[in-house]
Amino acid sequence: MSLLSLEFMQRALLAAVLTGLAAPAVGTYLVQRRLALMGDGIGHVALTGVALGLLTGWAPVWTAVIVATAGAVAIELLRERRRASADVALAMLFYGGIAGGVLLVGLAGSSAATLTSYLFGSVTTVSPADLWVIGVLAGIVLVLAIGLRPQLFAVCQDEEFARVTGLPVRAYNLLIAVMAAVTVTMAMRTVGLLLVSALMVVPVATAQQLTRGFHTTLLLALALGVAPSLAGIMFSYYVDVAPGAAIVVIALGGFLVAWPLGTYVRRRRQVSVPGQEAEERLAGEHVTAEQHVHEHDETCGHPAVPHEDHVDYLHEGHLHARHERHYDEH
Amino acid sequence: MTTAVVDVDDVTVTLGERPVLDGVDLLVRAGEVVTLLGPNGSGKSTLVRAAIGLVPVQAGTVRLFDTPVDDFRDWHRVGYVPQRTTASSGVPATVREVVAAGRLAQRRPFRPASAEDRAAVDRALDLVGLTDRSDDSVVELSGGQQQRVLIARAAAADPDLLVLDEPNAGIDRRSQEAFAHALRLFVGSGRSVLLVLHELGPLASLVDRGVVLDAGRVVQDGPLPVPSTVAGMPHEHAHDTEPDTRWFG
Repeated sequence: MSLLSLEFMQRALLAAVLTGLAAPAVGTYLVQRRLALMGDGIGHVALTGVALGLLTGWAPVWTAVIVATAGAVAIELLRERRRASADVALAMLFYGGIAGGVLLVGLAGSSAATLTSYLFGSVTTVSPADLWVIGVLAGIVLVLAIGLRPQLFAVCQDEEFARVTGLPVRAYNLLIAVMAAVTVTMAMRTVGLLLVSALMVVPVATAQQLTRGFHTTLLLALALGVAPSLAGIMFSYYVDVAPGAAIVVIALGGFLVAWPLGTYVRRRRQVSVPGQEAEERLAGEHVTAEQHVHEHDETCGHPAVPHEDHVDYLHEGHLHARHERHYDEH
Repeated sequence: MTTAVVDVDDVTVTLGERPVLDGVDLLVRAGEVVTLLGPNGSGKSTLVRAAIGLVPVQAGTVRLFDTPVDDFRDWHRVGYVPQRTTASSGVPATVREVVAAGRLAQRRPFRPASAEDRAAVDRALDLVGLTDRSDDSVVELSGGQQQRVLIARAAAADPDLLVLDEPNAGIDRRSQEAFAHALRLFVGSGRSVLLVLHELGPLASLVDRGVVLDAGRVVQDGPLPVPSTVAGMPHEHAHDTEPDTRWFG
C-alpha cells in the first residue's frame, strides 16, 4: 500500500473522487439538454483563466473559476438567443479561449510541461489548498445538482413547459452553466481542461444504456464517474501518463461494455404488455363499472357530460354511461 | 357575467419582420371549451403561446384569470400541452418522472414531493390510461402514448385551464379516443380548455365555440355547427369545404 501512504497520492485520489462525482452530476443535465459539448467549450475558455493566474501570480484555480464562469454565462446567453450567428460566435469564443491561454502561458514564461499538466491533469500537482477548493466547490455542485433535481430536470426536458409552470427558467439555465464552469475548473487537476468534458458525458452515456429513468441514470452516472477517476489516477502513477487520458480511456471502456449489454436488456423489455383494462376502456370496448348504489340522473350530483349520442356521468374520476341495467366505463 | 379565464384584447405579434397576429381578440370564459381553427401559418399556435406569455406581444393586452399575463403568478392554474411529437430528451426519463414535472408550480425547491403531489400524479396517469406504463421510459412508448404523457403532465397540476397545441397531430386513433376521454373528464368538472386543432375528430361534441384564424386575423368566432350525423362531420378549414371523414370510416 505504498501508493496510499504518499500524501500527494492521497490528495490526488480524493480530488478524483470529488470530481468523479461532480462532473457526471452536471453532465447529466448537459446531456439531457443535448449540450454535451458545452463542457469542452468551457474548458477551452478556462485555459485563459489559468494563464491569467500564472501571469499575475494569483492562484490559477480562482482565476480559472472566474474566467470559466464568465465564459459559461456568455455561452448560455448566446444559446438562449438561438440566432444563426450564435453558432459562429460560440466557435470563436472557444478558439479565443485556447489561443489566449497558450499565448498568456508563454508570456508568463511557464514551461510546456506546466501547460500539459492543466490540459490533461497531473497527479503530483494537487496542493492541500487546491483540495480544499475542490472539496467545497464539489460539495456545492452536488447539493444543487441533487437537491434541485425536479426543477433542473423540468427545465432541461422542456423549457417552454417549465416556463408555464412558473419556474425561473433563465436563472436555472444560468445556474447549470455556472455549475458546469465550476466543475470544469476543479477537474483540471485530475482529468485536465481538454478532457473534463468526457468525464461529464461518458458516464451518463454509459449509465443510460442500462437505465430507463432520469433519477437512476443520475445515480448510476455518479458511480460510473468515480470508478474510472480512481482507476485512472492509480494507472498514471504506475505508468507515467497524463491521468486525464487514462481516466477517459477507462470510462470509454466501460461504455463499450455497457453498450451491447444495454441493447440486449432493451430487446428483452419489449416483450412486456401494456395494461389491458385502461387500453380497452379507451379503445371503446365494453368495460363494466363497479357496483352502483344509486342511479345516475340529473339529480344525483355527478356532473353530466354529453358523449356523442348519450350522456356520461363523472363519478370519482371515471365516466359512467348507462348500459341496460348497469354502467359502463367510458 | 361569467369570469374571463383568458382575455386577449387587440393583440399584435411580430416575429422577426413578419406580422403573425394582427389585432386579434380571444375570450375564454370559465367552463368554456374554445378551439382555434385555421390553415397552417394562420397564427393559431402563436395566439395560444401569446395567451400564456410564451410570446411577447407588440400591441394589445393579455390577461389570465383577470391578471395581466406579465404579473400572473398562479401558474398551477394553467396546464400547458406544447405541440410536440415526442416527450423524450437526451437522457431517459420514466413516464412518472415526466408527469411529475407538472407539479412543480406547487412545489418548493429542495423539498421532496408531498403525498398530495404523488396522488395528483397518480390521478393524471389514470386519466390518460398510462398507470401501467408509469415506470417505463417514455421513449419506449408510441407517439400517441407520448402525447398522452404530456397531457397527463399538464393535468397533474390540477389546473383550471388546459391549453393544448395540436394535441391530435399525427397520433393513432386509440390515443385520440383516450385524449377525447380525458378531455371529457376534465370538462365535466367545470373547467376551461383552449385548444388548437387541425381537425375536430372525436372532440367535436365537446367544443363550445370555434375561433377561425386566417393570415393572423380572426375570420369567424361562434358556436360550431352541431354534427347531424357522425359521418357528416363538419369541417372547419377556412379554405376547404370537403367533409373530413378520416376518423369515421
